[in-house]
Amino acid sequence: MDFHLKLIVPSDPRFLSIARAAVCEVGTICGLSEELCQGVTLAVDEALANIIRHAYKNRYDQEIELNCQTGPNQIVFTLLDRGEPPDPARICGQPLDDVSLSGRGTHLMRSVMDEVHYERVPEGNQVRLIKRLSVTTEG
Amino acid sequence: MERQMASSTRIEKGTTIVDVVGQIDLGSSPALRKTLLESLNGTKRVAINLSAVKYIDSSGIASLVEVLREARNSNKRLVLFGLTGAVLQVLQLTRLTGVFEICETEEQALGT
Repeated sequence: MDFHLKLIVPSDPRFLSIARAAVCEVGTICGLSEELCQGVTLAVDEALANIIRHAYKNRYDQEIELNCQTGPNQIVFTLLDRGEPPDPARICGQPLDDVSLSGRGTHLMRSVMDEVHYERVPEGNQVRLIKRLSVTTEG
Repeated sequence: MERQMASSTRIEKGTTIVDVVGQIDLGSSPALRKTLLESLNGTKRVAINLSAVKYIDSSGIASLVEVLREARNSNKRLVLFGLTGAVLQVLQLTRLTGVFEICETEEQALGT
């Protein structure tokens, strides 16, 4: 079953749990295992947090558009913001050392999702997170 | 799922135990960081109970890493115990399972 879910999420960290709950349910509906749902939820949450911290510089009065588009073979999460463009060095991911305090969010996103794309679009900054569905995970 | 993050501190067998509940994310990790750093005061050993933590993100992990770093700098011992599947998954993805001392139960954490 293909569907599209769209949320306008305030850039306030208090609302992250609402976005996580929605993303987790999308994963469940698409037949992802509990572990994969947790991973996808984490990746989207990290993307939202990065937008709040870096694109919006911790301004809590902005908006983030979160789109969840499911298809027969994949789920695509698209996040759109109107803040500062991302630092290319930051979005490429950094090597992790054991006690680094930064860089783990991007690493988590790239570890969990099959594709991560950063794009500049007319509306602002867009990040697309793609998770492919295996035949056995589809409901 | 418990949404709000909360923590409390107690002393068992000379170890300061911090019991954490709920979800640790960008909104709640600063408060957790403060609590964990304060828990290092006046003790040589801290054990963090994560058995009731159902979600943690990289900001929560960063808080744990920071308190680990501070513990090492002050020659104190830090142990994590009761890790749920979600917490363990994030530690594995961030390659930190070998960095922290991890136990399954409180008894093991107190006994090591």
